[in-house]
Parts: sequence; C-alpha cells; structure tokens
Amino acid sequence: MAWTAPKIEEVTCGMEINMYFD
Amino acid sequence: MTLTAITEADTPFLPRGVRTKFDSVRDIWVLLAPERAVKLDPIGAAILAEVDGTRTLNEIAGGLAAKYNAPVDQIKKDAGAFLMSLIERRMVELR
Repeated sequence: MAWTAPKIEEVTCGMEINMYFD
Repeated sequence: MTLTAITEADTPFLPRGVRTKFDSVRDIWVLLAPERAVKLDPIGAAILAEVDGTRTLNEIAGGLAAKYNAPVDQIKKDAGAFLMSLIERRMVELR
C-alpha cells in the first residue's frame, strides 16, 4: 500500500456511536 | 490551554479510556473515546498502531517510512497533522 495523507471521519450519529460500545 | 504543534521529539500516547477497535462489519479501524468515535483510514490505523507511548514522532515516522518506502519528511508532516487533529479532539496526548 502506498503512503497517502491519513484522513479521519468523525462519527456524529449517536446510534452509530452506541454500536461501538452495559 | 493553548495547543502547540507537535514536534518530532514528542511522544504521543492514547489517554486512559481511548482505544482502537476493528469494526469487522465495515472492515475499518475506529478510534473510541468515551461516547465518541472517529473512523480511521488504513494509513491512520497504521500510524496509531505505532503509537505506544514510548516512541517519539521521529521514531514512529522512521518506522513507517521503512514500511511504506516513502520519504520520512512527508510522513512526519502527515503523521504530525493527523496526530494534532486527534489531540484537538482529546483522543491523543503528548509526553
């Protein structure tokens, strides 16, 4: 894989955040 | 608190409660903090995989430069900007 500038994407949807976490 | 730029002698680390997790459904890495999440691309995940709290940005960039066969100065610049954006979100700290 070639080096490219990294990008991040903020997760703003509360339901989506909850998926990642009692 | 005023944020200053990261220097190559700084050692980034993930503060307590912040961790990476692989989302096997979406096939991406995410960085989780209490009640917050950001999605990482493969390069971002590769940078954070090198962040162990003992290595400086200089050492991290050197390792990635060898792995990706890319100029270390470019990696230092990109990784520094990436880490700064996470510092602003309080998901990375420096020592």
